[in-house]
Amino acid sequence: MSSDYNDISFEDIEWDSQDVSTFALTRAGLVELLSYLTIAALFVYDHYVIENAHPLIFGWDVLSVEWMFLVTIVAMFFHGFYPLYKNTRMRQFYWKRFKKNKMAVIALAWLGFIFVVGILGPVFVDPPQIRFDNRILPPAGVTATINGVEKTGTMQYPFGTSAEGRGVLALVVYGMRVSMEVGFIATVFTVLIGSLVGAVAALATAMDIGWMDEVLMRYTDIQSVFPTFMLLLLLTYLFGSKLWMIILLFGFFSWEGVARTVRGEALQRSAEEYIMAAQASGANMLYVVRQHLIPNSANSIIISATVAVPGFILGEASLAFLGFSDPNTFSWGRTIAAGQANIEQAWWISTIPGIFLFLTVLAFYYVGEAMRDAMDPRQEVGGGGGL
Amino acid sequence: MKWYIAKRILWTFVAVWIALTFTFALVTASPNQGEMQAMMSCATSGDDPAECREQYRERQGLDTPVTERYVNYMVNMATLNWGWSDSRSQAVIPAILDAWKFTAQYAIPVLILSTLIGYGIGLYSAYKPYTVTDYAGSFVAFFGISIPNFWFAIVLIMLFGVNINALPVYYQSGIPLEYGWISVKNFLQLVLPITVLLTASLAWQMRYSRAQALEQMNQEFVKVAKAKGASQYRLMIHHVLRMAAVPLSTSFVGSLLAIFWSGSVIIEQIFAIPGLGYMTYTAIVEQDTALILATTLLTVFLAILGNLLEDIAYVVLDPRIDYGNR
Repeated sequence: MSSDYNDISFEDIEWDSQDVSTFALTRAGLVELLSYLTIAALFVYDHYVIENAHPLIFGWDVLSVEWMFLVTIVAMFFHGFYPLYKNTRMRQFYWKRFKKNKMAVIALAWLGFIFVVGILGPVFVDPPQIRFDNRILPPAGVTATINGVEKTGTMQYPFGTSAEGRGVLALVVYGMRVSMEVGFIATVFTVLIGSLVGAVAALATAMDIGWMDEVLMRYTDIQSVFPTFMLLLLLTYLFGSKLWMIILLFGFFSWEGVARTVRGEALQRSAEEYIMAAQASGANMLYVVRQHLIPNSANSIIISATVAVPGFILGEASLAFLGFSDPNTFSWGRTIAAGQANIEQAWWISTIPGIFLFLTVLAFYYVGEAMRDAMDPRQEVGGGGGL
Repeated sequence: MKWYIAKRILWTFVAVWIALTFTFALVTASPNQGEMQAMMSCATSGDDPAECREQYRERQGLDTPVTERYVNYMVNMATLNWGWSDSRSQAVIPAILDAWKFTAQYAIPVLILSTLIGYGIGLYSAYKPYTVTDYAGSFVAFFGISIPNFWFAIVLIMLFGVNINALPVYYQSGIPLEYGWISVKNFLQLVLPITVLLTASLAWQMRYSRAQALEQMNQEFVKVAKAKGASQYRLMIHHVLRMAAVPLSTSFVGSLLAIFWSGSVIIEQIFAIPGLGYMTYTAIVEQDTALILATTLLTVFLAILGNLLEDIAYVVLDPRIDYGNR
């Protein structure tokens, strides 16, 4: 394959895909499947053999959300990073267009930092513990008067401590993981359901099963009318607030946009001749959806997914702020809410996690904008979009 | 067109029915909070929890078959008999009638301001894309979308209430009743809530109107209008906005309502405004199922109604659309 991205010729034919049946797996697909099976096996072992009695590996007691996060990371690796890594020309082409937006490059670096610290941080930083002898200490180098006593922060707690004596730095680090988990897992669910519904609806139209399209899209319409946030409040009230459940609910009630985008894209595609050719050579519906419709709508899916992530992160933080999220997680929203009571004398408890939340969400929007400019061929990149 | 609108109104009723059925199914399928409370209080006072459970179910009419309860529920909803709110010791409908004014007093100004300013900046950005003004507009928009409502509110309270002391930070519901809804005192205490809600809604309006107007800027009619010497104002308002209004109208209600509902719960909780959002919040905290259902359904009905108006606006605004087929 040529590394010169300007060489857009159609001479490369993937002869391998000639004899592929619907259920045949490529090598990458096999590794992906094995990864899922390994995670599933470990999950079963953790839940039924040792029954969550003690930590699974190296003192890490894997929680239900973390299992889902593992699956999400594997899925993102094999459907995001790996195809980009393999396809050098595509990668260079997109990167050249992406890096025109300087703010987006900085934003991407920030997100990489949050992602890595969110995953590895909790391994090195002790969980924020309640210590009443350390209540409300200011950040390092800052002097503040707390309840009439003047205190100066030390390097033991660089970002100070909360009203319960938890280190704000540790709260921020653990909050990163929660935010990343919520954002990415919910997005993967959204994309999965949305692209399936959208592709099936489009294909149904193309294959003259119009009623199926009608039913699916009318349902999508109704669901999109429901105000998601109020629905979440109702559902967490009725069924309790476990983090994994909140994430699932976010995923299940937010796919309408993706479904509409994919349907629109796939409707255009399914009228094209290569779909007819595929069907003429005996491809079934599932194969056409998986091999042609979804990959060819990938750009739109990725763009809408990038914009969905910050929405979920903000949504979970809002729920947590109101006190309706999982009380056992260190969400940024919960830390901000806890700091509200002492806002007059201890500004850092609410402000510092808030800055992290704000910058993370902002970074996602910038990256999403730059990705749209880079990946959507209809967009002019002459002046560079956004900032 | 009349036929389309008639069909669309009929569809609205179907959507309302589906929403009602869905909430009924949810409440029926979920563990009943009141039942658990009744059992708990019986267990602590030494009675038999199972017996109390039966009594509770009988009292609430839960011992009847599901179909009968479903019919009752539908009839009650249709006749506006939405139940009794335990937390407010008041029927649900009067409670809503008391609360909505407190929400409307800041939501309506935000709606008007964000639409005017948002579309203004959005259209201006589209007129001169990729200039410093456009970039500044983009930055403001991203800032507004990204800043968490609740955090922004806290920071404002910290700045204005604690450090500067210029504005009242906590809402006093006595003021509008004493001095009138439209009074300087009431306006002053609404400045911070309006600012917080405005940032988010303004940002969406700006981004979306810019994107839609930009789509139109390459069209032939823009060139023609420019060639005929139309001024910037005339070009943008009479030609571009007129065309962009069609796609803009379809997402207007949905996206704004989403911002308003989540925003109102958070803002009213922080600033202690006794409106619909605060009512929802306290209803959840105090496990008042009837009130939670009512506020959720209210938002759903408003969204469905908004959707209907949007669709009608769509065919009215764009005569080219073939509505016979939908």
